[in-house]
Amino acid sequence: MKKIFLIGWKDVTLAFRDRAALILMLAAPFALTLGLGFVTGRFSGSSNTGVSDIPVVLVNQDGGQIGNTLVNVFQSQELASLVVPTVLDNPALARQEVDADKAAAAIIIPAGFTASVISGAGTVPTQGPATTGEVVQLVLYTNPTRPTSVSVIKTILDGFVSQIEVGRVGGQVAVEQLLSHGLIQGQDAARIGGELGLRQANVAQSSKAIALKSVTGSGEAVKFDVLAYMAPGMALMFLMFTVSNGGRTLLAERSQGTLPRLLVSPTSASQVLGGKVFGIYLTGVAQVLILILASTLLFRLNWGDPLGVLVLVLAAVVGAVGWGLLITAVAKTPGLVSAVGSAVMLTFGILGGSFISLDNMPGWFRVLSKITPNAWGLDGFTTLGMGGSLANIWTPVLALLVMGAVLFTIAVLIFNRRGIMQQ
Amino acid sequence: MKKIIAIAWKDTILRFSGWAEWLFFLIMPIAFTVILAGGTGPLRDSRVRLVVVDQANSPLAVDFIATLGKSAAVRPEVLTLGKAEDQFAQRQVSAVLIIPAEFDLQHLEQGNVQLELRQQPNNMNALVAGRAVQAVISRVSSAVDIASSSVAEAEKIKPFASATARQAYFDAALKEAQTQMSAAPDRVTVAQGATKEQIEYDPRANSSAGQLITWVFIPLIGISAMFAYERQKGTLRRLLTTPTQKGTYLLGTIIGQVATALGQMLLLVGFGILVMRLNWGHSPAALGVMLLASTLAAAALGTMLGTFVKTEGQANGLSMMLGMVMALLGGCWYPSELFPEFVRTAIKILPTSWAMQGLLDIVLRGQGLSAIMLEAGVLLGFAAVFFVIGVWRFRYE
Repeated sequence: MKKIFLIGWKDVTLAFRDRAALILMLAAPFALTLGLGFVTGRFSGSSNTGVSDIPVVLVNQDGGQIGNTLVNVFQSQELASLVVPTVLDNPALARQEVDADKAAAAIIIPAGFTASVISGAGTVPTQGPATTGEVVQLVLYTNPTRPTSVSVIKTILDGFVSQIEVGRVGGQVAVEQLLSHGLIQGQDAARIGGELGLRQANVAQSSKAIALKSVTGSGEAVKFDVLAYMAPGMALMFLMFTVSNGGRTLLAERSQGTLPRLLVSPTSASQVLGGKVFGIYLTGVAQVLILILASTLLFRLNWGDPLGVLVLVLAAVVGAVGWGLLITAVAKTPGLVSAVGSAVMLTFGILGGSFISLDNMPGWFRVLSKITPNAWGLDGFTTLGMGGSLANIWTPVLALLVMGAVLFTIAVLIFNRRGIMQQ
Repeated sequence: MKKIIAIAWKDTILRFSGWAEWLFFLIMPIAFTVILAGGTGPLRDSRVRLVVVDQANSPLAVDFIATLGKSAAVRPEVLTLGKAEDQFAQRQVSAVLIIPAEFDLQHLEQGNVQLELRQQPNNMNALVAGRAVQAVISRVSSAVDIASSSVAEAEKIKPFASATARQAYFDAALKEAQTQMSAAPDRVTVAQGATKEQIEYDPRANSSAGQLITWVFIPLIGISAMFAYERQKGTLRRLLTTPTQKGTYLLGTIIGQVATALGQMLLLVGFGILVMRLNWGHSPAALGVMLLASTLAAAALGTMLGTFVKTEGQANGLSMMLGMVMALLGGCWYPSELFPEFVRTAIKILPTSWAMQGLLDIVLRGQGLSAIMLEAGVLLGFAAVFFVIGVWRFRYE
């Protein structure tokens, strides 16, 4: 056991002294996580959905109650991290801002918009004569190069319009019903309709008729931190480099003659292999833990239940080491291990969800992703990041352990067949 | 010239001496392009898949699911509870909506209907599904809210004679509310701005251009590894004892890698044209200028890096790291529209950003030589600066 530990420890110290290896073990995943943090806005604002601080221009020519409310909605604290509203007087200037790509959209509230809504222009009430007058429409002037931002603005605008429509219809229906049942007089209809409509619009957002109970897989309320998905993804991807690089050293020692020398000492082949595997495993664990620690301290990233994180790291490295050994067993030279290892690292990265979410990928792709330690590891890390505990991650942990055991067995069989561990 | 060709040929032979190089040269770039483009077939329904479990089977539930189906954000798929739970447990679906047995008009009037939405943790699609469900709930429940409110107003004036009268009043108000809500006039008109660029983000074009840059920049920055290797092994010194000038060696190495990169780019462009049906070929002159300018900028960066690194291993690691980070920040993996404003300005210092912009001008916006002159010029500027530093600081020993 002592020999296994010594061989393993020697490999760990060698790995962490190798500046070239450290670039891909630590610097690259850290740099990419940092880059992802910047491009997703994680470091630049409170919104971390990937779209934040959307510039939008508002022109309020209406000046009525509804027009003013719409401006207030965009200037509200609730939307402060999502949109950056600018109010202008001139519609032409607003359009220019969009055309110059300085704004994602311009919302022009034409004169008479409030009056148009209140008068029910364009609607056909069942009671009394049809309303007259033109429907005055809001103008949403969009920037075609920012489709995502535009869709966000449109969603906000649709929500507002829906709310005022509920208010209008609410007032109208109530008045019509009251009139038809003789409960109010015609001369009071306009006043009562206005009051009811305003009240209805205000309660529209807090409708109680249908409640929605949102639960996550781990039973917690949904919060989203894009970095909590990306950082484990990068750590797991570059873990594949570490394990294949560790395997490469096994073949390098063989070609350089240090492995046969070790085998003529009173050290059995299984002890040498055990030590090498132990070294790769320790290096992988240390790498991931360093990345977790660094991202926790520097990015204030919450990885979740520490015990769960530790168990998951230990299991993820088992799965990854299995792949590293298999690559080593199959490849014939250290150079080939490096090349195939890098290819597997990147392939598993995209297959396992380190670059893109697998949710919208075809079913076969998601099934295939399960061969990667990345996919299982990410499952576990996202569960923990959202407040799950060790009890919620047993499936990925077991899957990773089984993956490691199966691959290790296959790799040892190939090692024996090729006589790699023989003098 | 003969020596330059000989050195370039030697490097090319060395690079392709093993089959593994083909993984990085062609196989993985194509695989990444296809995956990041979301498949090369006809455009699929890109809405988020929302599994719905309908335990009510009531007209209201059917109407609710139909309204969900009209959403621009989600694509409902009705499954049994068992199947839905299985898929959710296996993370095959982002969100599951469970419509309970009591989801009917009668319970809705009493205001005690609750839908359950199960969402995967830390999942953007789950959040999108949540918003879409909320929007439909708002639409469906608003008519009931209006009817309830109408009944309450009537009750304030005069209490109903019986429960039946109250129900009849409610039913009439609900019907009227539903009619008026569905007949509501369109209150928003959308007009598209006259920006310089008029074409929206296309994942296929973005993926093709982005992966082309990524997979060509990484090996070209890796020229630094070739210089480090030759320095480490002493072959550079031996070569320079022959009647070969230092400039000849540098030129041979760089030309060889640039030519290989151009070949790789043309193969990837060919894949884009033939398989992905992308508009790469409408302006061969613009495409040629952009490909050449991009490769020269990347090769120059590799040459400059070659003066700073000590070992081949360091150079390999750095080239992969720099290539990936610059591709990420340059908008090669994700649309730069999603980047914050200051990042979009800051990334102008990266050659990948200009290369991506120029290539998208061609493949996405259908523009020609005049439109890409600025991007090509900036890339050639990068190339000049990097080459000057690289050659000036180059260590031959």
